[in-house]
Amino acid sequence: MHPSLRFALRRFAVGALILLAVSLLVFVGCEILPGDVAQVALGQFATPESIRALHQQFGLDRPAPLRYLEWLIGILHGDWGMSMGTKVPVAQLLGERLANTAMLAGATTIVAIPLALALGLLMALRAGSRFDRAASVVVLALSATPEFLIGTLAVMLFSVHLNWLPAVAQVTFGGGWAALARSLLLPVITLSIVVAAQIARMTRATIVNLLDLPFIEMATLKGVPRRRIILVHALINAVGPIANVVALNIAYLVSGIVVVETIFAFPGVARLMVDAVQARDLPVVQACAMLFCFAYVVLILAADLLAVLFNPRLRRGIHPDGSAG
Amino acid sequence: MTKDEARNGNGTVLTRRAFNQAALVGGIGIASGAALLGAPQPARAAPTRGGLLRVATHTQSTNDTFDTAKYIYTNDYIRGTSVYNTLTILNEKGQADPELAESFEPNDTATRWVFKIRKGITYSDGAPLAMDDIVYSIMRHKDAKLASSAKPLVANIKDVKADGPDTIVIDLEAPDVDLPIMIGTFQFGIIKNGTTDFSHPVGTGPFKVKEFKPGVGTSFTRNPNYWKSGKPYVDEIELFYILDPVARANALLSGDAQMVTDLRGTAIDQVKSSEAFAVFTTPCPRYTSIQAATDRPPSNNRDLGLALTYLIDRKRLLDTVLKGQGVIGNDHPIMSTSPLYNKALPQRELDLDKAKYHFVKSGFGTAKLEIDVSDAAPFSADIGQLIQREASRIGLNIELKRDPADSYWNVVAGKRPFTAINFNPRPTYNMLLNLAYRSGAVWNFSHINDPALDKMIDDARSTPDAAKRLEIYGAIQKTIYDSGSIVLPCFLNYVDGISKKVKGLVPVPVGNLSGFNFADRVWLES
Repeated sequence: MHPSLRFALRRFAVGALILLAVSLLVFVGCEILPGDVAQVALGQFATPESIRALHQQFGLDRPAPLRYLEWLIGILHGDWGMSMGTKVPVAQLLGERLANTAMLAGATTIVAIPLALALGLLMALRAGSRFDRAASVVVLALSATPEFLIGTLAVMLFSVHLNWLPAVAQVTFGGGWAALARSLLLPVITLSIVVAAQIARMTRATIVNLLDLPFIEMATLKGVPRRRIILVHALINAVGPIANVVALNIAYLVSGIVVVETIFAFPGVARLMVDAVQARDLPVVQACAMLFCFAYVVLILAADLLAVLFNPRLRRGIHPDGSAG
Repeated sequence: MTKDEARNGNGTVLTRRAFNQAALVGGIGIASGAALLGAPQPARAAPTRGGLLRVATHTQSTNDTFDTAKYIYTNDYIRGTSVYNTLTILNEKGQADPELAESFEPNDTATRWVFKIRKGITYSDGAPLAMDDIVYSIMRHKDAKLASSAKPLVANIKDVKADGPDTIVIDLEAPDVDLPIMIGTFQFGIIKNGTTDFSHPVGTGPFKVKEFKPGVGTSFTRNPNYWKSGKPYVDEIELFYILDPVARANALLSGDAQMVTDLRGTAIDQVKSSEAFAVFTTPCPRYTSIQAATDRPPSNNRDLGLALTYLIDRKRLLDTVLKGQGVIGNDHPIMSTSPLYNKALPQRELDLDKAKYHFVKSGFGTAKLEIDVSDAAPFSADIGQLIQREASRIGLNIELKRDPADSYWNVVAGKRPFTAINFNPRPTYNMLLNLAYRSGAVWNFSHINDPALDKMIDDARSTPDAAKRLEIYGAIQKTIYDSGSIVLPCFLNYVDGISKKVKGLVPVPVGNLSGFNFADRVWLES
């Protein structure tokens, strides 16, 4: 079998194992979470009888291992169960939120990643120049600024004072494409700033590091122009690390932007998970957690495969440290 | 709109007897005038039709529901009052006005109430309102198999039955002079007999559901066949959620919502100083307290609890933390604006001498006293800090523990010696006392076990004589005041932000934005 294929298959298997392990952790985590769905659902009016009635209705009176197995088998059949709070299938609850999140993450990716790569490359091309130093300071500052600050400042300026853009990303009730784009603009800008700053920094650092290696020195001695060295020789070798940073950032856009979703009242999956935890709606919590892990596993897997394809040493089945794989 | 206009608009007149009852009984009534302080005066101009009203609220839950038995959040109440009607409706004095019922009367012992139902009411789908629907809407909460949040409310209801085509008779286990108020509670929204699927709710209310997305939002369109002629005024309502207080204020100020609930801190000043927006205030008996679990040491030490009551500067809490949006409390759950308030009890104030006296008497010494606070009880951390600082001046060593909000009510509240507690207003003080101060009640966080208090709570509900009731409520307040089990420094106003174009809201003291019931009251000035 071709080494790359074997590598890919092995990674697929490892990914599946990780997801299985995560499913167990997620389930156990939900079990030991203090608080109880019935108690929360009934609020200040809860009585022992009504709590018991709800428990029976949800099947929570049955042993945990049995419930885990049922849940796992359900997932494998594509059945995520029913939300305890809303009595609708989890898949339905998740579906729309996931579409929203995909829209926001997609738009941010399209804006932020080319921007970040271009900026990183420019900085690397002119490493040490005044432009590089100024850009480095700005990018460092932006990547260290929490997104709630950037988001809130943007809202204060563009929504409250200038009244150009809506303060909340209301994507729920119709309004057409123009309204949708307008309401997405501020969250996309906020997220793009944070994500692009980080990727640009990593791109610059990776390439500048590579420039110290002997093969670049060799190319320089042979008289290859600096632009060509960076774009052809260095960049190909930098694909692995950069792909990893990009993958991590996209995964973050899918699962970790609860703060931005909250500031802009954007109905995405991260907020759904937090709400579900508060409501102790465990089927929804479990589905979100699995989904997020799945996103991480798939994206990291894609980044690794990309790294292998672009790295001849890995392609021949040899680890970067030189040992045979 | 004033109460009188509403009544004329409904084309109804209360019987004299029923009106007297309404005026005399429990309610969380607020002395006249006080309710309107700081609130925009209701405009007298004629309401205008049309427009889209966008409302952003401060709670969000994937448990959003139209099932009256599953209501627990603000949003459930707002959605409920938009689509369903109740037999009665609360006015700004906390009394019951007629709604689907055009009149109601008790028998002499207040163990049986007769509701005359308005004729010719139809659902938004055209079906006529039947008496069986009303029976079902109330009695379903008694079904043992149904986990209903209204179960404690219906415990006293023995039976509900139809008596002819337009009369409902409710029989009670024990007398209750406040029944018309309770039956106007959100959980008693009227639904069709036998309804179990609430995904496409149908009611007799002012709006129909257009889109319902749990945890995200709900949109409504006007019910053209609504039985109140000319109402509702607005064409559409969009209800959605903004959890972050700053984002909520920004959404109001940028025009993305015309009404937002629960403004806090500097946002209140920001909205006040703007030209196009106003703060809508509802004084009400909502409170955050520090309560002692009286069934365990060290909090069963009455003197220790009493020492705490003298260790908080209530005026300072009201002015600095609450920005003036509240009413000072006197360590029992009845507000000074209520006709039931016991004026004979001296107002507790910051008093280090008295605090020291009780502290020394308690013999607690230099040990650390833990108080649990949480975001689950609004402003509890501020209250804790105020107490902590004064306590250090008499040598009482307090440690504040901040607990996470999401499991607070199940894991912490009432389960540790001193914990912060929060109660939203109940339509009557008696309902609150039953829920929170009766021996063995689920939400009796202080674990007060006092048969004499239980008897007084029962008597207060069943005594028709107003003077006697006043006396009983006075004694209840004194018992709680002297128990050393509760520090209740301030009642917390509901503070909402609205566009000045929004008209018709009245402060109903059970919740935000007209007691969560604005759908057929509100209009937009064009």
